[in-house]
Amino acid sequence: MSGAPRRVRVTSPQTRIALSRRHRPAQHLLPLPVPGSEGDEELAAARALFHRQRRLAARTLGALGLLLFGLSGLLGGLTVLGRVTAWGFPVSWLLLMGASYPLLLVIAVLHVRAAERIERE
Amino acid sequence: MTGLLAIGLLFAASMAIGVYGVRATRLTTPDFLVASRRVAPGWNAMAIAGEYVSAASVLGLAGLMLKNGIGSLWYAVGFTAGYVAVAALVAGPMRRSGAYTVPDFADYRLGSQTIRKLCAVIVLVIMWLYLVPQFKGAGVVLHLVSGTPYWVGVVLAGSVVTASIAAGGMRSATYVQGFHYVVKLLFIAVPAIFLIVHAGDDARQEALRMDVSEWSRPLLDLEGSGQPLLATWSVLLATTLGAVGLPHVIMRFHTSATAAVARRVAVGVIVLLGVFYLFPAVYGLLGRVFTPGLVRGGDTDTVTVVLPGEIVPGGWGSVLTAIVAAGAFAAFLSTSSGLLMALAGGLSHDLSRASVPRLRLAVAAGALVAVLLSLPARSVDINVAVGWAFAVAASTFCPLLVLGIWWRGLTRAGATAGLAVGVLAATGAALASVLTDPGPGWLVVLLAQPAAWTVPLAFMVMIVVSLLGRPPEWAERAVLRLHAPGPAAAE
Repeated sequence: MSGAPRRVRVTSPQTRIALSRRHRPAQHLLPLPVPGSEGDEELAAARALFHRQRRLAARTLGALGLLLFGLSGLLGGLTVLGRVTAWGFPVSWLLLMGASYPLLLVIAVLHVRAAERIERE
Repeated sequence: MTGLLAIGLLFAASMAIGVYGVRATRLTTPDFLVASRRVAPGWNAMAIAGEYVSAASVLGLAGLMLKNGIGSLWYAVGFTAGYVAVAALVAGPMRRSGAYTVPDFADYRLGSQTIRKLCAVIVLVIMWLYLVPQFKGAGVVLHLVSGTPYWVGVVLAGSVVTASIAAGGMRSATYVQGFHYVVKLLFIAVPAIFLIVHAGDDARQEALRMDVSEWSRPLLDLEGSGQPLLATWSVLLATTLGAVGLPHVIMRFHTSATAAVARRVAVGVIVLLGVFYLFPAVYGLLGRVFTPGLVRGGDTDTVTVVLPGEIVPGGWGSVLTAIVAAGAFAAFLSTSSGLLMALAGGLSHDLSRASVPRLRLAVAAGALVAVLLSLPARSVDINVAVGWAFAVAASTFCPLLVLGIWWRGLTRAGATAGLAVGVLAATGAALASVLTDPGPGWLVVLLAQPAAWTVPLAFMVMIVVSLLGRPPEWAERAVLRLHAPGPAAAE
């Protein structure tokens, strides 16, 4: 009495993705890869690349936070820096106006170089 | 009169460059929105800096410094630091995603029309918060140089920006904004050097005098809270992370040829901003010596324009005033046009179907609302309002982009919840800070610049709600794609 087997909808993996996204994404967006189109090795390589980039981004963000919060904390804590002058400027003003920008640039340049190195390898 | 002439010349030059841009444009929708990605990197960095250096930097920074002290320069540090975060976190992956706008990215990464619409609404909130202080600056400066009522400057700025944008779209905006960066830098820097030379030895010494007053403290405070470190950190958090989520800035990176170029463009912007931000401080320091009366009058945002006339009386003084006023006008013109582009994108590209005529209509509608909002906003400090725009961006789009790019576990539910909580908390706090006065203490800081709690809150809500659900099976591939170099990424 089992009768005819239940009808099963057969769809290609790509159609399943399209259906689960519910609507067609705009044409100019990067298309998603078809599942199974890349080998296990490729997938593992992409994962490794991603994790290296993520570690790098986290390090850069840490350096940025250290610079911003560290410098402001330093200037807030060490009021003596306001009483010392260098080239006619109070040192605390000099640090605030002059030191932060070059250091920000250094952090950004180091990040971009490292990110491009990871991409080349 | 000289002031009006200088501003008139600036308009004419901007329009001429805009028209050249129009002739070079085929005017398809991608052309209109992102210049079809054929903008040279140097121009692109200059255009980003030109668009980013707004009335907040040209007028607001010196004004806030005069009013609240040297610590206001932390705003400038945060504005610049934002580009380190942009280069490290979003520039490359966003470029690879192929999305023009933040709502586009939400579509790519989460595949949801609801989130796309929610994002478009948030774009409008940020843009209007940002446009109002720009138009306010235009009204105040025009009032100073020509005596016209405040509203004339606001309406005039609104109509000029609308006309030039509606005519050419992003393509012409790129060149106009690159040109405006140069104008802003020269028109602020040259008078600044001139003023330093002419101020005299005594005034220069006086300007650098460090005393025990709160003015000299190298931390900023908000509304006299007495919590300078908390206020400084909250402003830094808002400005740095806000830059990551500013829709008009994000849009600019899609005009780069590849993801690597987009990252380098972000680094170029840091250089251009660092150079520029040396100069507003000059006006703040000298303003403290020459124009202390502005603090009592409450119109400190005008110090940059008033100062040249105070230091150098007579003909040269009015020429310098005219130059600075034209520089200030370049600031609202370029920032406003970038903002209106993103706003138009939000109104028509994301909320309904895009076409060039409809984008033009959206530009006009967006500008009209901003002008109406600016009319009663004359007493709001430029930097405070811009700080709110940054806080909203930092509490909504920053977590969406950062988690969307770097964490495969982000789900639709998580993103929706985080965006909703972030936008409600940040705008609610800003509103509360306008309407109430809780007195000195940490509470006033957390309302006046809410980023210190709304950013962690938005991140937390997105992560926790995402962990409760399951990301779709294609989520990991969508994330990995954003980091894959080479032809696979369709660069």
